[in-house]
Amino acid sequence: MGDEGNPQTPRRTTRASLSSTPNPKSSTGKLKSCNLLPLTIHDLAYGDESISFNDLISSLPGRRAQIIELLHLLGPLDSPMFPVFLYGGASTGKTSSILQTFKHLKRPFVYCSCITCYNPRILFESVLNQLLLHRRNESNRYSSTKRCERPSDFVNLLQEALHNVVDSLKGNVEKSSSKKSVGRARGEMVYLVFDNLELAREWDKSSNILPFLFKLYDILKMPEVGLIFLSNASPDTYYSDTGYVEPVPVYFPDYTEDELRQILMKNPKNPKLYSSFLGVVLRPFCRVTRRVDELLTAFSSLYQIYCEPLDDLGIVPNEDMKRKLFSHLQPHIGPSLNETFKVESRLSSEASANTNKWKGIAKKVGVSESSNEIDFHMSACAKYLLICAFLASRNPATLDASMFDSTGGSNNKKRKRSSEKSKEKKEIAEQELLLKGPGTFPLERLLAIFQCIVSVSECLPDEEARGDGGLEGESWTNGLLSDVLLELSSLCNANFISKGGSCPLEGANRYRSMVSEAMALKVAKSLKFPLAKGTVATVSNERID
Amino acid sequence: MGVENPAEQGQILLRTRLCNPNFIYTIFSDSPDSNYSKLKYIMSSSVTEACNNSALLLGPRGCGKVAILEMVIKDLLQEYPDTICVIKLNGLLHSEDNCALKEIARQLCIENQLVFSKMASFDDNSQFVIAMLRECGLAHKTIIFVLDEFDLFTQGKQRLLYSLLDAMQSVTSQAVVVGVSCRLDADQLLEKRVRSRFSHRKLLFLPPSREDLQKILQHALLLPTESSLPPQYVAAYNKKLLNTLSDDKFKDIMDSLCNFDATFNHLLRFLFASVCHMDTKAGFLSLDNFKTSLSSIQRQPKLEALQDCSILELYILVCLRRLEGKEQETTNFNSVMKEYKDVHNSFQTTDYYARNVCLRAFEHLLQRQLISLVDNRGHSQSVEFRPVRLLISSHELHQGLKAYRSCPAILHKLLDLAV
Repeated sequence: MGDEGNPQTPRRTTRASLSSTPNPKSSTGKLKSCNLLPLTIHDLAYGDESISFNDLISSLPGRRAQIIELLHLLGPLDSPMFPVFLYGGASTGKTSSILQTFKHLKRPFVYCSCITCYNPRILFESVLNQLLLHRRNESNRYSSTKRCERPSDFVNLLQEALHNVVDSLKGNVEKSSSKKSVGRARGEMVYLVFDNLELAREWDKSSNILPFLFKLYDILKMPEVGLIFLSNASPDTYYSDTGYVEPVPVYFPDYTEDELRQILMKNPKNPKLYSSFLGVVLRPFCRVTRRVDELLTAFSSLYQIYCEPLDDLGIVPNEDMKRKLFSHLQPHIGPSLNETFKVESRLSSEASANTNKWKGIAKKVGVSESSNEIDFHMSACAKYLLICAFLASRNPATLDASMFDSTGGSNNKKRKRSSEKSKEKKEIAEQELLLKGPGTFPLERLLAIFQCIVSVSECLPDEEARGDGGLEGESWTNGLLSDVLLELSSLCNANFISKGGSCPLEGANRYRSMVSEAMALKVAKSLKFPLAKGTVATVSNERID
Repeated sequence: MGVENPAEQGQILLRTRLCNPNFIYTIFSDSPDSNYSKLKYIMSSSVTEACNNSALLLGPRGCGKVAILEMVIKDLLQEYPDTICVIKLNGLLHSEDNCALKEIARQLCIENQLVFSKMASFDDNSQFVIAMLRECGLAHKTIIFVLDEFDLFTQGKQRLLYSLLDAMQSVTSQAVVVGVSCRLDADQLLEKRVRSRFSHRKLLFLPPSREDLQKILQHALLLPTESSLPPQYVAAYNKKLLNTLSDDKFKDIMDSLCNFDATFNHLLRFLFASVCHMDTKAGFLSLDNFKTSLSSIQRQPKLEALQDCSILELYILVCLRRLEGKEQETTNFNSVMKEYKDVHNSFQTTDYYARNVCLRAFEHLLQRQLISLVDNRGHSQSVEFRPVRLLISSHELHQGLKAYRSCPAILHKLLDLAV
């Protein structure tokens, strides 16, 4: 259940893991596929024994109402249907429900996700490959049967393919009326399932791929085809110029606390122990998030802590024991509520990128993030560059002179005189910084600051700083600029510094620091560089003190 | 498929009907002043009198423009066999001139048993189409061009429309161009040179009136007496259905349905959902079926999304709403965090979480589309700094909080203070 709604899991693996025997269709990419039998029409449905209705309901706790509605809409065998639109937040079991339902019904269907099929062409070809029972492998150099880029070609090819499939299904029905076999697809309908449709909104702003998909039912004019769309965005977020034919909506709400308990209780090793654990942690965590995937990662480490005092994990806890375990766990709950879901926002510029990050970061939970050490290696030069970029982004260019020039002290005196005014000003500046975020700067400014800082760290009386960066600093100032530029470009690649578009007037690229203040402080500390909180004019202050 | 429950058979029959637009709209074919009769008159006159013609079918989505056109074409094909050739284009597929012309050539080739060359250039195809128009005109064969989503053809240089309509200016050709669009100003989108060649016949399609609705309901839902279904069942079903249809409660349901969206499509979807919810054991359509289907069709996605939010996400929404109340020009994650901190400091709330947790909740809200980034520029900036705005009104937020099961009282208070 854990990965069921996880956005970045390719649905094909979900599908493969759902069927107990390897489904020939789902193992498209495997090398073994050359020895597999050619695909038949029955491979469009799940091959093995169908699951009963009760199994279907019990395999997806908390989705009873939705599955029943889905079954109603799909209707009895060979009944035409309107396009259906399943929507609900991430990790609410949309994909699992539809795939399990088809496993129950054993009807032929074609499944495509807009995650794996990330542009119209791949989507079209994937649908056609599945319908034409084509398997991409070494012998055909992993190519699709038909090359098809435009919706107009797709419609023609799809019509042809669907007619073939429906005809062979009809022939199949006549044959199978005499003898019933297990591995056969039922009925004469073919269903097309399009998953993660919300991603298709981003594909191409000008293209009308979404209105096209929504209208596909009317364009095809084939009652034997059922269309099912899955999306985690609600129908009202599919804006379109002149509207579209609206499908029948089915809503998958987020799981409630009780449903979450049922899901999490599905297969723990020691149910009693785990349920008492959930009794402690589930409620506070539900106030933060109700997504199964996020809760699972949070609970896995907490459960280990919970079990620490126990010698025997198979134990059935009594009241006394529960209290003991609770008092052991309690100090960890608060921090983990605030810690587990670490999102490193500096790396994320787009929401889609973020979803990918979460998983990676969740894995890193074990690593202590709160400590003052930075948990990755970086050369001293890169660290200095990072600090320079941070300073350049946070401070206005006009302050550079006073900060890095020893003669720029006059500015400071003024500020001291009218302290109240300066306070006010500082507050306003802080406000602005909060709203605007880090500013951009040209390369020259970065290099100038870099030069200043490196020369300062060289002549610092503090000998310790010299040990880390000072000696190398000499060599940088001696014109090894290419090294610095290399470091800069690798920092850009790692998204510590972002390279913006070029300025229309100056023509040069502008850069922006993406690191948070805490991060910059950590880096500065590791260099013993005097970077204090509230970066405006920090350096100059330090020097005056 | 062997012996089945008559109710299930009935259900399949009803579903087949509802999914088949040709069946639904047949009831409009008999009245003389319907769009069906007008369109049929226009098109058949061009077939019989061998003249060129063009018309636009305009009206909101889901009012049966294409369905009625298809019925007319079907009738004409029966009345005048072998003299009509239909070419269908769709603006969603063929809005590009090159592609459209290729598709016309392809369909013409299929109709006339010619070999279609995929390699033919735009020029080849356009010459072929003009030649075909002349040939068909000489053979007194009418070509009907159906351009669905007509407004999309007017994007770009309109070369296709121009060459089609220009070719129709000659006496020899015999063609009808029918455009279908949901934009009522579709003819204004035409270039001058195209507009002058277009005969300004427009047929307006409107959502059904009350009487029409009643007719459609009975037409679609009553089971036929002469069919494979057992007659007792049909009689019982029809009697029960007529009872339900005349019920006042049912009329209320229809009212709320039509207030929301009175088009045919919406009605059909509603009926489809009702039929799907029919209990096949009892075998009758009950008032409850209609009620549940109404609630499943008319959804309020924003309120649903609010119910899905966690408490922390609600806090962020309320903070954002408070900032809006203060009339700050821009808000972003950082300013929301500041407000969140202030709220915590002044009210000592129990739900105070670290910044990164809030950021994730914030991103959930973005994903749920309860808030959105104001502009798509500045992709290089990280999310915390990009300005956002609330996509729900304070009224909706109020409603959502009220409906939320275990909403902390402090949130209501905070929201009230903001307003």
